Amino acid sequence: MTMNPSDPANFSRRAFLKGASVAAVGSRVGTEFSKGAELDKSSSILDKGSHPITLQVNGSKRELKIETRSTLLDALRDSLDLTGSKKVCDRGACGACTVLLDGEPVNSCMTLAFDAVDAEITTIEGLARGDELHPMQQAFVEEDALQCGFCTPGMVMSAVACSKRHGGSPSMDQIKNDMSGNICRCGTYPRVFKAIQAAGKEGGR
Amino acid sequence: MHSFELFLPDNIKDASLRGGPNAVFKAAGTDLLDRLKERIENPETLINLLEFKKDLAGINPQAGGFDIGSLTSIHDIASSASLAGPEWRALKQAAETTATPQIRNRGTLGGNLLQKTRCWYLRSEAFKCLHGGRGPSCLAVDGENRYHSVMGTLDCMRVHPSNLAPALYVLGAELSTQSGEESNRFPIAELYPELPLASEAEHTLSDNEILTHIHIPAAVTGTSTAYVESREKLSFDWATTAAAVLLVMKGKAILSGRICLGAVAPNPIPCDQAAEMLAGQDASMELFGKVAAAAYAKAVPLAQNEYKIELGKAVLRDALAQASGLR
Repeated sequence: MTMNPSDPANFSRRAFLKGASVAAVGSRVGTEFSKGAELDKSSSILDKGSHPITLQVNGSKRELKIETRSTLLDALRDSLDLTGSKKVCDRGACGACTVLLDGEPVNSCMTLAFDAVDAEITTIEGLARGDELHPMQQAFVEEDALQCGFCTPGMVMSAVACSKRHGGSPSMDQIKNDMSGNICRCGTYPRVFKAIQAAGKEGGR
Repeated sequence: MHSFELFLPDNIKDASLRGGPNAVFKAAGTDLLDRLKERIENPETLINLLEFKKDLAGINPQAGGFDIGSLTSIHDIASSASLAGPEWRALKQAAETTATPQIRNRGTLGGNLLQKTRCWYLRSEAFKCLHGGRGPSCLAVDGENRYHSVMGTLDCMRVHPSNLAPALYVLGAELSTQSGEESNRFPIAELYPELPLASEAEHTLSDNEILTHIHIPAAVTGTSTAYVESREKLSFDWATTAAAVLLVMKGKAILSGRICLGAVAPNPIPCDQAAEMLAGQDASMELFGKVAAAAYAKAVPLAQNEYKIELGKAVLRDALAQASGLR
């Protein structure tokens, strides 16, 4: 099957992965599968090697080659040089790697890159417009909502999602709930909360 | 983590047939990636169930209750308007307290039920853990055991980590699975081994069996449920003790009740005898104190976790108070 991955009509996850180096499973029937079962030929296997995929990151299609075990965080940082998302705990416990997947905050360290193929991915690099900071980033600057700054990219991504979810005016309880997956060792939480309130409706842009 | 091949099934039957001793089913992968990164599991193949997200995610009203797809996110349960009534409250409360917003957005109901214990001896390949197949005996018996079982007299002191499971127990949930072309439906209690020995897997599904749906039956009039858990952190933590309760009320009178404890034993622990004490009584904190004492009557602490017994009783009293409207 040949296809052009840049054609949106072709950009389905299954179709694209099949277009990439995928082995059909038909040849494995009767050798590896238990119970002598017949498998549909439309299922497919990606072997342990590297495979080309396309991710939709910050509004553009990025082609990269990754192993099946690559997390989304490693793909962003190591293959696409988007090092804004931070690798801290690598276990989904700290939130420094938070990115938006179709607008919802997730831990990119606990998500396989292959599982993000169909999603719109937004990283901290995707917020500013040229030299103009995103209103949430600007609010973080103005409220001095960071000390060492290492948790800040993840904080900002969760903050944008929080602001958007609550129409720009989240209550303090909603802020605390929505930010509870982001840990700051400097303890700048009160200023982060203030920044989210100060960003207002634009904070969820 | 080690390399693995990724199987992208076209249909559930294919996914099921690809299962086997060297393959693992993956939903969101939140708990699985943790285990792979720690190298306590090194499967040859991951079978990606997320291919079925469209078919197996969603909360569908069904005969007064619900059919919930196993790939429904924890967030979707926590924020579901369909589950807003007091009869479903335990499920929503359990979902709301799970992990973090990021993990709730991605983690699934099926994954929550099938995640592995958080026991630190199991979770680190450095330890010769009996349950992990790496050693001759349970290291928690004489080791660091402040989060471990207070009900265990077996050979493994792990506790069950799911907070949604106790809520589903009291709601009388049933599960549907698929193996090849065969479907199965059974009560949630049968998802967990009858005798949770170290040698037993933490669930009873076969290598080819995929959890597809969770069925919640209709609630009788006057039903009210609640879920309460204790933990050390307000976010991204597992429970130290947990209690889900269901009460059928008529005014102040309790017609019947169900109780299930979490995080205190290798399985969720239904407490039928303690729950029977509720039937025909008026709700009161005095009654709930007696019921909580009965629920923990057979508890046996390890060296560091005696606190869990008193804490667990308080958590159960609190859940009963919430469900009955006393609090």
